[in-house]
Amino acid sequence: MHQRRYTTLGMLAASVALNAMATAMVNAQEASTHSLEGKVIGVTVIGTDHHWDLMAYRGQIDQLEELGAEVIALDAGRNDQTQISQIQTLIAQQPDAILEQLGNIDVLDPWLQRITDAGIPLFTVDTSTPHAINNTTSNNYNIGAELALQMMQDMGAEGKIAVFNGFQSVPVCKIRYDQLMYVLESYPNVEVIQPELRDVIPNTVQQAYSDTNDVLTQHGPDSGLKAIWACWDVPTIGASQAISDAGRTDVKAYGVDGSPEFVEMVADPDSPAGAVVAQQPYEIGRQAARNVAAYLNGEDVPPFTFVSAVLINKQNAGEVAGPFLPQAGDGAQ
Amino acid sequence: MTTTIDAPNGREGQLNSGNLSKLAIRLGAFAAFAGIVIYFAIAARGFTSPFNLTNIVEQSTILGLLAFGVTVVFIGTGTDVQRGGIDLSIAANAGLCAAVYAVLMRQGFGDAVSIVAAIATGMIIGLLNGLAVVTLRIIPLLATLAVMNIAAGLELVLTENTVIPVQSPLLQVIAFGRFLGISTLAWCFIVISVLLIWALQYSPLGLRLYAVGGHHEAARAAGIRTGRYVYAAYIFAGFMAGVTSILIVSRLSASTTGTGLMLLPILAAALLGTVFSRRFIPTIGGTLLAALFIGVLANGFQLLGISSYWVAGVQGVLILCVVAMTSFAKRD
Repeated sequence: MHQRRYTTLGMLAASVALNAMATAMVNAQEASTHSLEGKVIGVTVIGTDHHWDLMAYRGQIDQLEELGAEVIALDAGRNDQTQISQIQTLIAQQPDAILEQLGNIDVLDPWLQRITDAGIPLFTVDTSTPHAINNTTSNNYNIGAELALQMMQDMGAEGKIAVFNGFQSVPVCKIRYDQLMYVLESYPNVEVIQPELRDVIPNTVQQAYSDTNDVLTQHGPDSGLKAIWACWDVPTIGASQAISDAGRTDVKAYGVDGSPEFVEMVADPDSPAGAVVAQQPYEIGRQAARNVAAYLNGEDVPPFTFVSAVLINKQNAGEVAGPFLPQAGDGAQ
Repeated sequence: MTTTIDAPNGREGQLNSGNLSKLAIRLGAFAAFAGIVIYFAIAARGFTSPFNLTNIVEQSTILGLLAFGVTVVFIGTGTDVQRGGIDLSIAANAGLCAAVYAVLMRQGFGDAVSIVAAIATGMIIGLLNGLAVVTLRIIPLLATLAVMNIAAGLELVLTENTVIPVQSPLLQVIAFGRFLGISTLAWCFIVISVLLIWALQYSPLGLRLYAVGGHHEAARAAGIRTGRYVYAAYIFAGFMAGVTSILIVSRLSASTTGTGLMLLPILAAALLGTVFSRRFIPTIGGTLLAALFIGVLANGFQLLGISSYWVAGVQGVLILCVVAMTSFAKRD
């Protein structure tokens, strides 16, 4: 008995020590003053038309410039061909490192390989690829599972879900979707409506509004439909509006990212927005830049760095949603 | 007496000034192109490296080939956007062809069948344009706009608006292969350009197509079946959409949405191309230069560290200037 108690206490102590170490590591990274003076760093992103994308992009540029780097910042305007051309020219420019943020992995991977083939260190933001030295992101495995479990709780573990699944080619979306499906394996009374919905870019909100309207028409109040899920939270803005406009109180929307508009909806007790996992894109961008600085100053950099994310639901919104709301300012997250 | 002598002199003077202004604009266009290239060569580090120059050609290939399709439509129907012909469907058509190719490849049909199907799809869309413009006599601007929507809709049906990844040894060769130090994509651009310059500027077929576009009634009076040539021009544009779609898929390793967004740069290249020709008419050589010009701008801006946000805006201003100058000179 004593032995067990000591073991438990020992584990607890070890866990506290590990946590303290982890915190210390994060603090050490945050306090990093590695200089990038005289270095040229390329930053390539697929687009900046959404809050998350723009914040992460700005975070990288701000931190790189603060550390003294010359930044070649390239926004492909959500066009794959433009991004490929920009990467191709970037390789010819031979920068000291390249940071790549989001995009379709099937399109990008051969070109990311060309970056490493050219001897340029590659770092990614929210994009897992074997070609990158480090990927700075949120823990999307946790995010996917946490959001799915919150949804199960709200649904009472039974009913139907309409799922937006248009971005399997974006790695973080695939992880969150796979985690949802994994959680659903434990809840046989929950059914995903087929065919799944397709979220789109551009016109994400409008299209999601119209698709949700169709789903609500097909699945009336007695159908068991209780949730709309998306791997990000721009479609869920449209979905929530459609649910509100249809006067339905039996359906809630769930998403990821922490776009201020959607967080505001979750914080509103009357809105059908159920929950959101809010990330810190600006901090993710800054952390990615610090990783580049550490690497170029001869330090070892781990294959991935996670920046924490927060689950915001109807119950805890009052306490935790504050920094993610629109009036909190852009730089806060 | 004085008037009879003065009149022809006056007309001659007008003609001369017209010709002079055309010459000035044409030389100005060449000088601007050359000036920008020289400026980039001096100011932008790495611009003149062989690797970068090949990059520019490669990056201009897809735009250039699709602009060739529109150029052929312009040649066969005249460049007057309101009364002449235009193909607004070409970018959406290329997107549809890429989707057909990718879907068939995913289903295991292999390159040969998939490529033939993609090109056939492009030509059918071209045929549809011809049917709407020639047989149904719908204004080309509206007819091809409608066909653009049909093509874009079919692409969505096929892909469900998702990315369809494709891999094959052939695509690998097209995307990353090199011969004599020049990439396969660049070779495609060079070879197709040479073939088209020959076919349109030097073959009887090309001359007849110019006759049809230059003066429809006169060509008909001379015994040319004008309708067939207009049909052929649209079908050829569809053919180019099909061929280019394979290159698009090879470059992106997938069929992706958003190919339709290329429409404006394509039209810009085809219209800009007229400035590089002697009589301000559409030519393959002119379009080739215009596509390279647009490619040089994007590349040079990036090398100079000018924000990518400026590229589209400056391209737009240049196009506006060129189109304004051209129509001004034509009025003269």
